[in-house]
This record gives sequence, structure tokens and C-alpha cells, in this order.
Amino acid sequence: MGERTLNALRPGEAAHVVDLDRLHPLRRRLLELGFVRGARVTVVRRAPMGDPVELRVGGTDLALRAADLLGIRVRE
Amino acid sequence: MTATVPSNTMPPVSAPSRLPDEAACLQTVARLKAAHEPRVVVVGNPNTGKTTLINAVAGTNLKVGNWAGVTVEKREARLTVQGRPLLLDLPGAYSLSPHTPEELITRTALLDEAPDVILNVLDAGNLERNLYLTLQLMDFHVPVAVALNLVDEAREKGLTVDAPALARVLGVPVIETVASKGQGTGKLLSTALGGATLGIGVRYPQAIEAAAADLTARMAELPTLPPHAHRYLALALLEGDPSVRGRLSATGHLPLIDAADAHLAALDADGIDALIEIAEARYARAGDLARVAVPRAEARRTLSERLDRLALHPLLGIPIFLALVLLVFRLTFSVASPFVDLIGGPLQTTLAGWAAAALAWFPLGRDLVVGAIIPGVGTVLSFLPTLLVLYLAMSFLEDSGYMARAAFLMDRIMRGLGLDGRAFIPLILGFGCNVPAVSATRTLERRSDRVVVSMILPFMSCSARLPVYVVFAAALFPRAGSWIVWSMYILGMAVTFAFAWALRRTSFPAEGGGVLLELPPYRFPAWRVLWKHAWRRTASFAKRARTTVLATVAGVWLLLALPAVAGGKFATVAPQDSVFGRVSEAVSPIFAPLGFGNWQATGALVPGFIAKEVVVGTLGQIYLGEQAAAPAPLSLWAGVQGAVTATWDTIKTSVSAIPTVLALPSLSTDTTADQKTPLAQALAAAFTPAAGLAYLVFVLLYTPCIVTVGAIAQEHGRRIAWLTVAYQMGIAWGMGFLTYQVARLWL
Repeated sequence: MGERTLNALRPGEAAHVVDLDRLHPLRRRLLELGFVRGARVTVVRRAPMGDPVELRVGGTDLALRAADLLGIRVRE
Repeated sequence: MTATVPSNTMPPVSAPSRLPDEAACLQTVARLKAAHEPRVVVVGNPNTGKTTLINAVAGTNLKVGNWAGVTVEKREARLTVQGRPLLLDLPGAYSLSPHTPEELITRTALLDEAPDVILNVLDAGNLERNLYLTLQLMDFHVPVAVALNLVDEAREKGLTVDAPALARVLGVPVIETVASKGQGTGKLLSTALGGATLGIGVRYPQAIEAAAADLTARMAELPTLPPHAHRYLALALLEGDPSVRGRLSATGHLPLIDAADAHLAALDADGIDALIEIAEARYARAGDLARVAVPRAEARRTLSERLDRLALHPLLGIPIFLALVLLVFRLTFSVASPFVDLIGGPLQTTLAGWAAAALAWFPLGRDLVVGAIIPGVGTVLSFLPTLLVLYLAMSFLEDSGYMARAAFLMDRIMRGLGLDGRAFIPLILGFGCNVPAVSATRTLERRSDRVVVSMILPFMSCSARLPVYVVFAAALFPRAGSWIVWSMYILGMAVTFAFAWALRRTSFPAEGGGVLLELPPYRFPAWRVLWKHAWRRTASFAKRARTTVLATVAGVWLLLALPAVAGGKFATVAPQDSVFGRVSEAVSPIFAPLGFGNWQATGALVPGFIAKEVVVGTLGQIYLGEQAAAPAPLSLWAGVQGAVTATWDTIKTSVSAIPTVLALPSLSTDTTADQKTPLAQALAAAFTPAAGLAYLVFVLLYTPCIVTVGAIAQEHGRRIAWLTVAYQMGIAWGMGFLTYQVARLWL
């Protein structure tokens, strides 16, 4: 499968980071938390109202809003 | 000071206006430095057990929180060796490119302290991300020692942790610790002080190392820049860190920034994004290190994951959250209220009886003590049981990691207000007491969010307002009392949300920028830490409230006693002829459209501005004035006997209330509908039900207390504080008017 944004993944699916949008508002912080090229990201679950989305990268669990997932491109 | 410096090579960065004034941070650091002369700074990611570790090492009373950013105020660790202070605890940081006020303090301290040793605390269960910070710290020219903490938790996860191997590849001493059990903490300090070394940092790609070398060479000629930070500063410039750029430009190092920009332009022309290359180089090394330190990693479903399947369940998550909040408040009221009654009733009466007997020779002093000082102190004390239980419960939810889940669950709702889920937590704390809630807004990243939340949260009905509702409900609505109390809470929340919406559309539009919530693993908090934490918060409330409440009650007593009537007899004037009565009388027409335009009701609102706790007390003073002044003198022995019996009964009542907390909430049991106190009888005679309701609405919505105003002024300046007071009065009057006019049609 080709490249998608992280938003396209369903809970339980995992993929590898390709890149972050240069204008992503959290770009710097996401890099520091491990969203570097090749890092494996799992979508754990969505919050009860569909947003935000819980992600796991490395050993860290964090949540981003769906809108902020659009700027994260992933592969596989 | 931290103005954005435009750059042609960087994408727009998130506005540094999110961060507090760097000057303020410098002051904080200077103050800490003056207080402690620290030689070891302790740095680590949030939720690594750093504070617990320091607690174990230094034995000081520090706050521990398991909610990213819970360390709202700086905690100071004191550990003296040979009379010299040694440790400085720095707030949790994920990186040294600050995104939060806490991170800015940590980064600023590292730059300005030139510490002798950095003690870096790592979470053994999440090494890769934690090592990112370690590697960043190694860009400073300061010896590092590592405490590999939470080793027990990592083993439970199925990880094998090899500290000696990590020490070998990192080139610094690594001590395994389990801070919560005190394991490994003993030899930590001697190792940190004796063995810390510079370690083996990251080799960045050649082009970046060349640029960094050029920048550090330029810095070597600038005596104003701390030598231990040259390499860190060079790399931060290449990462385009806005706070470092702002700081350097503010201190007149523009040539350095120009040089960095030239390097960035050259790198960009070669297709190199320095920010990404640096982060990738650090993560590549962090990954290598983590694989050495944790050679075997079995995936095992952790307790946190199992709990989250329930706590964050698509259907059950929010009901569970609401049930927990309800449980906390029920626990607070059923466990604490017997003690509240004990302090406000038997103990106070006994004490007043003794005081009256002891001071019988000095009537003026007796009246002051019995009429003002004992009730004043009693008012403050009677709040402590409620606050203590509430703070215990809140600390439990924070330290266990549940608060972060609450933020996750509530984020979608808060988004409509241009806020994120984390803003829900100060609002919930507001139910307990608005003062800590205002301080808790510091955990929000954006200034406009902090201001908006501080301005709306006083509408959340704090526990000090409850006694007013209860007294009025019992007096005027004996059969619907609980519903009246409940509806006050709901109305407060509705106004809170409506006002947030209005503020967003007028004065404080939402700032852009993404939202990132961390979900730390659940941890069972240590009771000792919870207790200390809750006790410290309660005590600080008592300290703050003591003076204002005591002064208020004494002041009202004095105003009620003045002027002295003919013949120089003091404190014999009728209440309505006193200074207090006349001033209240003059103001009272303002409240006529709300149905309570008499001096008594108006009079009780005035001290309520200083503290809501005293509204009921003042009503009592006004309506039942003489009754409180003449308690029956008791013998010492009878008094002690009575007090002991009452205390024992209270403990029994309180303990037996615990199981009922878990029962389904029934709204008809909690207010005392049957027996009407003398005050309730007086109020029933003085207020129509509609006027009583309007009075409650006014009490709910007007300025909660001077301490909250002070807290807002401290956080956001006087202008915001007075603005808050002004619109609260306006809204309270308007809503009170509406309530009275509508309620009059039915009641």
C-alpha cells in the first residue's frame, strides 16, 4: 500500500512515518517525541466522540486531534 | 523578549508568545539560585518519578503528579551536605526546545546555572524517548549522571533492563532506582557527585557538525555566552529554536543569528533540513542505546492498557468519568460534612462557653472573642475537612494518571470553546476551590487559554458557596432542597460555558496551533505522598484564608457594634442602626429588582466578596445577632466530655457514610429538610421563595472571593482581575434579576 495520512488509519493499525508537513503546528514537538522518518506509529483508539486519536510511538502514548493527523504521512 | 525572528529558511514556527516572559523565568531562576546555590540540577521527562526520587533522596516535602505538567509551581528540593544546599529540582521536560513554561524554566536554568552536575532521571520503561533528552543534555559541556528509574515497572512490562550496558555505551554512570520504594537512592548522590562524566553525545551529520563548529568558534569570542552551553546553543540555532533565537537577539547577538541563518540557507540549498536531521540523529542514537540497555523486550499487555480499554471505552468512558466526579463530590460531602458540623457546632459552642466564662470580667473583650474571633476561626476551620477530602481525591486522580484520560475524553467538548481537554481540569478543580483552579491554568500552553479559563472558572460553584445554598434550600424549599442545590451547580456550569463562548468571540479569540495530550501510564499513588500533597494544599488554603476571613468577621462585628450608643455603651446598638446596617441600607435599592432590597440580605453579600465562607455566618450575625453572643458557660469537665462525645459520634457518622457513597445518588436525602434551624426560620420569614432563589443565583455568580481575585491578578495582571470582577457583578445582577422576575410568576 502506498502513502497515506495518519488520519486514514483505523484503530489497531500501525504504519511507519514518512514525513511531517513543514507547516505542521506541532512539527518540532512531534519530532522530539519520536515521529522521525521510519518510526512505527500505532493508532490505538479514538476518543468516544471520534476525536482526538490516541497514538503510540516508541513507548509513548499520546493523543492528537484528527486535524493534526492530516499533516503526518505514513507508509505500509 | 522572545519575539519571533523572521527567517527565510525556517517554516513558520509556533508563536513563542505561548511562553511566559523570558525575563520572568530568569527571575525565577535567579530566585531559586539565591535560595539554594544548587550544584546538582535534576532533569527528566515528565512522569519519570523525578520528584518521588528527590523526595526519597532529600526527604523533602515535594509534590508528585502523574499528569504531564502537574508541577504547577516550582517545587524546591533542599538537601544540604556540609551545610551547603545541593539539589535543584527542575520541572519535567521532553526536550530543551521549550514548548511549555516548565520547559522554559528548565532550559533557562541549564543555560544560566552552569551546574556542576546534571542528574538525569530516566523512565526505564520508555528509554528511547527519555534518552532523546539525555543526548540533548550531553550537548552541554556539563558532567551527567543517570538515574534509571521505574525499573520495577519496566520489568512488569516484560522488559529486561541492563544498566551496566547502558553506562558503557553512554559513557556516564547509570544507577538503577525504584524511587517509590527507595531502592538505589542511597548511593545515587555519591555516584552523581563523584562519577559524573561528559558522556558520549551524538555525532550529527557532517554538514551539521561543520556548521555547529563554525558557530561555536564564533561564540568562543563572545564572553557574554556561557561556555558550557556553546554547543547546545549552536545546535538550537540550527534547529531554529525560536526561544533561543529570541534570547540571543534580545541580548544583542544578531551576528550569530545571521551566521546561523547563512548556514541554514546553505544546508537548505543542499536539501538538508537541519531540524529533521538533528532529531533523526538523536533518535537513531537513542534507539541504538535503548537496544543495548533493554536487550529483550517482550510485548506484554500492561495494566494501563487494560484499564484504558474501560476508562476510554467508546460508550462507557464518559459515563465513568462523570460517575467518578460525582463520587468524588459525594465522598467529600458525606465524609467531611460531619466534621464540618462538629467544628461549626459543638466544638465552637463549647469553646465560646469557656471563653465567655473566662472573660466575664471584661465584657468588651468577651464580646469580641465570642462574637467575632471564635466564629471567624471556626469558619476557616470548618472548611478544612471538606478541602482535605477533596484535595485527597483530586490528588489521587492526578497522580494516578486518570486526569490525563479525562482531558482526552473531554477534548471534543472543549474544542467548541476553542480550548482543549486539559482546560477541563481547572474547571473541575473549581468545584472544590477556585483558588487552586486558577493556579492550575498554568498548565495550559497558550496564554489566551489561560486567561479565558481563569475568567470563566469562578462561575463553577466552589465548595464555599454550598453552605449558602443548603441554608436557603432548607429554609425556603424544604421539599425540593436537593434539586435547588443541584440546579445551582448546573447553572454555574452553563454560565461558565456560555461565557467562554462569548469571550472567544469577543476579546480572546482562540490561538491556532495543534493539541497534543500525553497519556502517561497509570500508577498507584503512594498514600504518604497523597496525604502530604493534600495536607499541604489544605494548609496553604487555611493560611491564605485565615487572615481575610478573620479580619472580615471581626470587621463586620465592629461595624455592627458601632456607633457606641449614648452613655458610651459599646456593642449595644440595634443592628439596623449600626454603621453596617446604614451602609447596607444605602446600597440595598440596587437589589430591589432582584427581590431582596433590604439591608440584611445586602449586608451579608458585602463580606461575601471577601470570602463566600462568611455569608452564612454574617446572615446569622445579622438575623440572630444577640443569640450568638450569649452562649451558656460550661464547666471545663462538662465541656471536654461534650466535645469528646461529639467527636466520637462524628467519626462514627463519617465512617459509616463511606459505604453509602457508592449507592446510587439520590437527590432527596442530603439536605436536612425536617428540623429547621433558627437561621432557617429567620430566612423563611425574610425571603419570598423567588427572592431566595434570586439571592442564591447572585451568590453563585458574583465574585467568589478576594483570594480568587488575587490569584487571577497574580497570574494575568490586575486589569484582567478587575475586568473579571466587573463582569461577574454584571452577570450576577442580570441573572438574579431574570431569576426573580421569572420565578415570581410561579412561586
